[in-house]
Amino acid sequence: MIRLENVTKVYEGGTIAANDVSLDIQKGEFMFLVGASGSGKSTLIRLILRDEPVTRGKVWVAGKDVTTMPKWKIPYLRRSVGTVFQDYKLLPNKTVTENVAFALEVLGRPRSVIAPQVAQVLELVGLADKGERFPRQLSGGEQQRVSVARAFVNRPPIMLCDEPTGNLDPKTSVGIMRLLDRINRTGTTVVMATHDHAIVDAMARRVVLLDEGKVMRDEESGTYEGLGEKE
Amino acid sequence: MSRILFLIREGFLSLRRNLLIVAGAILAVFISLTLAFGALVVNEILRINTLAWQDGVHVIAFLKDAGENGVPSNAHEALLDDVRGWDEVEVAKYVSKAEAWIEYQELFAGQEELLDIDPTILPASIRVELVDIALHNSVKFRLDQQTQVVRQVTTAADSIEQLQNLSSILNALGLGLAVALGLSAVVLIANTIRLAIYARRDEVAIMKLVGASNWFIRVPFLLEGMIEGVVGAALAVFTVWLGSSSLARAGEGFALFRLDVGQEWFFRWGVLFLAFGALAGVVGSLMGLSRYLRDAEGTGPDVPAGF
Repeated sequence: MIRLENVTKVYEGGTIAANDVSLDIQKGEFMFLVGASGSGKSTLIRLILRDEPVTRGKVWVAGKDVTTMPKWKIPYLRRSVGTVFQDYKLLPNKTVTENVAFALEVLGRPRSVIAPQVAQVLELVGLADKGERFPRQLSGGEQQRVSVARAFVNRPPIMLCDEPTGNLDPKTSVGIMRLLDRINRTGTTVVMATHDHAIVDAMARRVVLLDEGKVMRDEESGTYEGLGEKE
Repeated sequence: MSRILFLIREGFLSLRRNLLIVAGAILAVFISLTLAFGALVVNEILRINTLAWQDGVHVIAFLKDAGENGVPSNAHEALLDDVRGWDEVEVAKYVSKAEAWIEYQELFAGQEELLDIDPTILPASIRVELVDIALHNSVKFRLDQQTQVVRQVTTAADSIEQLQNLSSILNALGLGLAVALGLSAVVLIANTIRLAIYARRDEVAIMKLVGASNWFIRVPFLLEGMIEGVVGAALAVFTVWLGSSSLARAGEGFALFRLDVGQEWFFRWGVLFLAFGALAGVVGSLMGLSRYLRDAEGTGPDVPAGF
């Protein structure tokens, strides 16, 4: 589903954020990208999303070479990839319903389709009764659930999550992880960057450890501690 | 179709939810276009009045009384016919002694001390409008030759030429000011809308993140800019219309100067200014957005420090 071939990313100034990374992520897989701050987790997610161009190497998403993709096709790529970020990235002037619906509006779905689909996904994330609220009227956990709902509303085959629990307390984080796990069980590939030991250990899924942009370990059903890396 | 409706709805929703930013943009349009339109109105008033002066009488020949001091009784009519036949003359009008007295009375109505004169001292005259104001010397010379019947020749052409020169300068200045203010209006409007978009750059980044195409992001902003431009321009046109109407009313009793630019002129330029406001809004939005949409692969300036 996602393939990285000898990917290197060097930012202006010479910082190497990804160093010859090669990864194969299968359809329906749940994979953690772990590592200390600055290890290159977020960069990998940005490269998959073509939010940053690679310096060298190839990135394939759903059979398409993202690195050579023309700019006008990037929106189409992003419509097939749901994204969840630590800072939620919700549109502040839109209600919960409008934020979630926006992902369907860009696809040109008619309102008759959008309304039930949004209601359904808000039900899934437990926010059915808060559809008319604005992001500022919600707690951090609720905002992140809106973000998850928006990412999942058009049933994308891939979900990229960059520290989705980074701003949340442990109890709320568990709720978000349950949600992502549920989504993963529908066949959606989930790639999640995190440095939350507890979550990684509890989920016991594939774990890829990055350090200074290099893959140090790639373990099936791994744990954070088991990799022997601590921040 | 549903997508178009969505984008239009988005534009209006955005206007409603960003009231402060929208008010700032409208204010910028309003102020700059009021100044530009105001300058244009002043320029038009100058133009109208210059034209009016140029259309007036250019040369007056005061005549000796007919039937006296050897002046034949039909001398006035003969000279009038003669003058009407000259190539330089557009119109020649005869004003008799009686008409001169009526005119005098109208001119000095209410000033009893000036009206207390012997009406017979007022001479008859021939008033000449020229084909071209530059020909006034030639006509004056030809009239001066008619010593038997012409008492004195006066010409307003010198003053008119001076006025014409002055008004050309004033017209150029007025027009230059209107153009300069119009251009600065575009820059000001573009900058204000750019700032408004800068304040919402994260929104643009998020829209791109969920797969919105550049045009999908652009259209509501363009609509918003256009509405801001039109509303600001409408306020400007209305304000200048109020000012201009008051000026016209104030100048109603003023015989020598016209302060009314006319409804037709105002309507024509008002519509043009509305279109200009809309265009400035659209251009401003395009300029403001270009920076955030040019880089189609970045989600905005907030690339994390810790990648």
